Amino acid sequence: MQETATTFDPIALSILWSRLISIVDEAGTTLQRTSFSTVTRESNDFAVVLMDRKGRSIAQSSVSVPSFLGVLPILTKALLKDYFPLETWKEGDVVMTNDPWLCAGHKPDIGIVSPIFYQEKLIGFIGTIAHSPDMGGQLWGAGTRDLYEEGLMVPPTKLISEGKPNETLFNILEHNVRAAEQTVGDIRAQVAANDQGIKSLLKLMNENDLIDLQDLSDAVINASEKAMRAALLAAPDGCYQYAYDTDGDGLGAGCHFEITITIKGDEIVADYAGTSGAHYMSINAVLNYTFAYTAYPIKCAFSPDVPNNDGSFYPITVTAPKGCLVNAQKPSPLGARNVTGNMLHSVVFGALAKAVPNQVQADCGSACWCIVLNGEHKGKEFVEYFFLNGGYGARPTMDGEHVLSFPTNVANVPIEVLETDVAVLVTEKSLLKNSAGDGEFRGGLGQRFSFKNIGEKPINVSMVAEKTKTVAKGILEGGDGQMGSVQIVPEREFPSKGLDKLFPGEELILTLPGGAGYGNPANRDKAAIAEDRILGYIS
Amino acid sequence: MKLGIDIGGTFTDFVLFDDNSKQLYFAKTLTTYPNPTVGIFNGVKELEDKFGFPVKDMSGIVHGTTLVTNAVIERKGAKTAFITTKGFEDVLEIGREMRYDIYDIFLTMPKPLVPRNLRMGVTERVDIEGNVVTPLDEDALQSLATTLKENGIEAVGVCLLNSFANTSHEKAVGDYLSQHVPNMYYSLSSEIMPEIREYERSSATAMNAYVQPITDKYLKDFETQLRTSGFEGNINIIISSGKLTTIDGARKSPIHLLESGPAGGAMAGVFYGKHLQEENLLCFDMGGTTAKACVIYEGEPEITNHFEAGRVKRFKKGSGLPVRIPVIDLIEIGAGGGSIARLNTIGLLTVGPDSASSTPGPACYNLGGEDPTVTDADLVLGYLNADYFLGGEMQLNVEAARKAIETKLAKPLGISIEDAAMGIHKIVNENMANAARVHVLEKGMDPRHFNMIGFGGAGPVHAFGVAKLLNTKRLIIPVGAGVTSALGFLVSPVASEKIHSHIAELNALNWDEINVFLKDMENDGYKFLAQSGIDKKDATIQRVVEMRYYGQGHEITIDLPEGTLDARTIPEIEKRFIKEYEFRYNRSIEGMRMEMVTWRVVVQGPIPEMEVKQFSTTVSDADAYKGTRKVFFEDTGYLDCPVYDRYALKPNEQFDGPAIIEETESTTVIGINSTIQIDKDKNILIDLQH
Repeated sequence: MQETATTFDPIALSILWSRLISIVDEAGTTLQRTSFSTVTRESNDFAVVLMDRKGRSIAQSSVSVPSFLGVLPILTKALLKDYFPLETWKEGDVVMTNDPWLCAGHKPDIGIVSPIFYQEKLIGFIGTIAHSPDMGGQLWGAGTRDLYEEGLMVPPTKLISEGKPNETLFNILEHNVRAAEQTVGDIRAQVAANDQGIKSLLKLMNENDLIDLQDLSDAVINASEKAMRAALLAAPDGCYQYAYDTDGDGLGAGCHFEITITIKGDEIVADYAGTSGAHYMSINAVLNYTFAYTAYPIKCAFSPDVPNNDGSFYPITVTAPKGCLVNAQKPSPLGARNVTGNMLHSVVFGALAKAVPNQVQADCGSACWCIVLNGEHKGKEFVEYFFLNGGYGARPTMDGEHVLSFPTNVANVPIEVLETDVAVLVTEKSLLKNSAGDGEFRGGLGQRFSFKNIGEKPINVSMVAEKTKTVAKGILEGGDGQMGSVQIVPEREFPSKGLDKLFPGEELILTLPGGAGYGNPANRDKAAIAEDRILGYIS
Repeated sequence: MKLGIDIGGTFTDFVLFDDNSKQLYFAKTLTTYPNPTVGIFNGVKELEDKFGFPVKDMSGIVHGTTLVTNAVIERKGAKTAFITTKGFEDVLEIGREMRYDIYDIFLTMPKPLVPRNLRMGVTERVDIEGNVVTPLDEDALQSLATTLKENGIEAVGVCLLNSFANTSHEKAVGDYLSQHVPNMYYSLSSEIMPEIREYERSSATAMNAYVQPITDKYLKDFETQLRTSGFEGNINIIISSGKLTTIDGARKSPIHLLESGPAGGAMAGVFYGKHLQEENLLCFDMGGTTAKACVIYEGEPEITNHFEAGRVKRFKKGSGLPVRIPVIDLIEIGAGGGSIARLNTIGLLTVGPDSASSTPGPACYNLGGEDPTVTDADLVLGYLNADYFLGGEMQLNVEAARKAIETKLAKPLGISIEDAAMGIHKIVNENMANAARVHVLEKGMDPRHFNMIGFGGAGPVHAFGVAKLLNTKRLIIPVGAGVTSALGFLVSPVASEKIHSHIAELNALNWDEINVFLKDMENDGYKFLAQSGIDKKDATIQRVVEMRYYGQGHEITIDLPEGTLDARTIPEIEKRFIKEYEFRYNRSIEGMRMEMVTWRVVVQGPIPEMEVKQFSTTVSDADAYKGTRKVFFEDTGYLDCPVYDRYALKPNEQFDGPAIIEETESTTVIGINSTIQIDKDKNILIDLQH
């Protein structure tokens, strides 16, 4: 028996909604457990999204990182419009692409979309997006000069047609990427995750006598949209502006961000007019990606508890001048666009602090620093990615946490694992005293991390650091966090972004920035200051 | 005669097995604070008074307690310091740098058990292969010892970098402390958790130190009092993996006691499964605030070493302190009798994870609770008997339950009280079924292939609904459902579990080295069993390795072939790995290199045989049929449902659902389309027609 949209009572809807989320979470678990990519596995750098026939998202896996917010539905809608119209999809098809303008803004992120058929009718789509171990081209980092140095680009293509693998595409992939078995293995894992999601969804349809997804999709999308609109309506109307600077290359070619956020009734518009142009380094963001990292802090501020789907984002509009840093066009290099995306929360919260000061946090010591080490260890080539985070920004009612990832959510690589994989000896990992911004609530401390090349050969280092020339900005009279730095011993120039080598015996000392403070430092609780002193967070 | 004693948050449970009569006896007393041994001896006395079994006649006692878990959750451990390699004092505080909730900007991370001013570095360094890079600065230990004394430190954890590869520096620190700071407890990471990953190892070591003084004192008292009462048998303590250790073992590694209660429940599931010839079972245990589910596959509970204690946000993975010890792999869900139902921000009905606990409790307790809970819903629907809750010890107020549901839910939603109550019942079942399904699927298994066993106070009330959602064929409600953990203690084997980190590709292993450490771990195990009077010839050996495809991050566990290993064993190991990988993930990857990570050797004593003739000690000769009452079922609405007295049910009786079966600790609710059979031991077997 088919239920119509009006008959999903709050109980039935609650049950079906949690089942939908459980389906994408199950698929996500499978993907994560079988993937080779460190970032997919350890840092949840993936998303699984269930979509209706129109490509609107109904449910997204709960642990995915913000960079994938809204990306799969944008991709699927584009596939339907420009590549594979609705009526052309067959059961057993799988489409793949890593086009940064359709997916998540750089080539390593691969989107895989499968149609879902029930009783021979196309009822929706399921998609996964995940960070692949490699897509060819230069060693990943901020140093590529154009898009073509960043490896292979696969436009939307059938990876599998009616169950039959596209051997040509697999062949091209295998010949263009490093560690081909891992990259192809991960693509297969994405397909398997989609299949598992389809299986579980069909079971749900069957058990609940549903023959179509559209009514259920409307119901959950409407509910999320309503929640977001209600929260926006409660905020004061107005135009809120904020300007912000970041390192850029760290050598003088910095980046400037400007945002105007307009809240009017139950809608919010974020416009980046005034932001600097495309950068020569590969830190440019496509608009999809800018949308994800703009919508994310907005969701945190206004509707953190409601499961996200298409409806959460209908009231949000993000615009940016074509060709600027946050709306990059071909052939701007994009590889390390996360450095730019990771800054957008600072800009958004900075502006929103003027509208809803109790719903935002102060600036974090982000972006997350990404370091890629490449060389030879015990006769084998290694490519090791590792990540370090700065201090977390203070909140309206509490201090920032020390050394915590935001807005992305990336774990560090254990020292002992790093030393297993690479010929380095880590010499220090500690909290950086006095690095947090002061305030009624202080920011979290940054960290110092240093390591030495103890091998016999130089190690290639691709460095993506940030806030070595700029700082995490305090809000509402809160103080700024301390700047970070990249130093090498014996001393010489070492870039904070780009490629260099660490020679045997050299030691790299990385100092990560602290988080910013919130509110006037004069109002800080004396007992909290005393405790910080006892614990050695401040001197 | 053997006695199992389980200290829980509210009750202390006792299960006694008499080898002569093959009978099981149960008792329950209130847990006493601050000194739980008082409650224990109340129960011991009750067993003697009621059944005539004095404690001095027991041959063995198995004990489990929530003491360690509570000390971590409530932060009531000892004043603890932490010693590490200089420059790495903050590893314990920095953790993995990752948030556990993506959208909550107001989240807080768990505070380290040792504050920054009590974490101290010593100059030393060992590399990943175990070579000494910087010798230990022994002179520095002297001032360190002085600082420990001056600060009144009771316990210290020591975790140096790469100590799993070379234990000498940690041992030297330990030796120095034991000589120069007597009466202070110390835990070495190379003994507590000799595994790679410094944060996780530090976390486990600090926690062990933190709980050691209180556990030690408690166990000492417990043992002394038992011996004073004339008890001369073996004392064993149950640990998180469902195995038993000795008092000394527990005093040395108290973190292994973290999940002792739940482990007992799972081991009871193993026992019932064997007894009922059910190899694959899903154990479902639902109490006042949480529900737990775990898988028993081919007669064995699934073990994991991913575990967190003291979560700052309950049920949220990543919000606790990691402890990589072997634990029975169970999921905990914020769903219990006390779970509160409310309308969320978008007007949908949700249940839990917050709970009304025991104070104020559900609205029907009449203790001032105004929020509608799962228990209130179960009462309104007629599943619970207001006059026979806890065997009539507590009168429930139906009107208060109806009022809470009406005011907070039914009116705002514009539906009847019964429909709202049914909504609560269904949603909580759905939450539990979803979690159980993900849990089973994560292991690459199909939930439909498992029969279910339900226990705990609220378990039998909800098990039928959950079983329906999971397409379970048979549901078992065992006798003694209220004291299952303590029963599980009696059927758990004594075992030693040794771990060793040694990371290398399968094709590049130094087999001589491996055979040596495997043999050493095995011999250590025999020595340990001897302390419980178990002979080497009665021991079974399980040697496993956690391995993965080279480049992956999740390991799977493979049984190693027997005997001495060498290059000729490689094809067999590969075969086992691929078989297991395909089983878990439905695929394998051809030609991919494999890597070994952690090696484990479990030396286990025999599983205690319990040939039980009679389970129930409360037998009634009255007619089991108590009449009917109005009960609300989803498919039928209200109907006159037969009610039975569990104690009066006769073996081999058979009838159809719907039915309500009442006993002191719980109520079994059985819907339509089912057949109920009472087996010879008076377990309730329910077959569901889907």
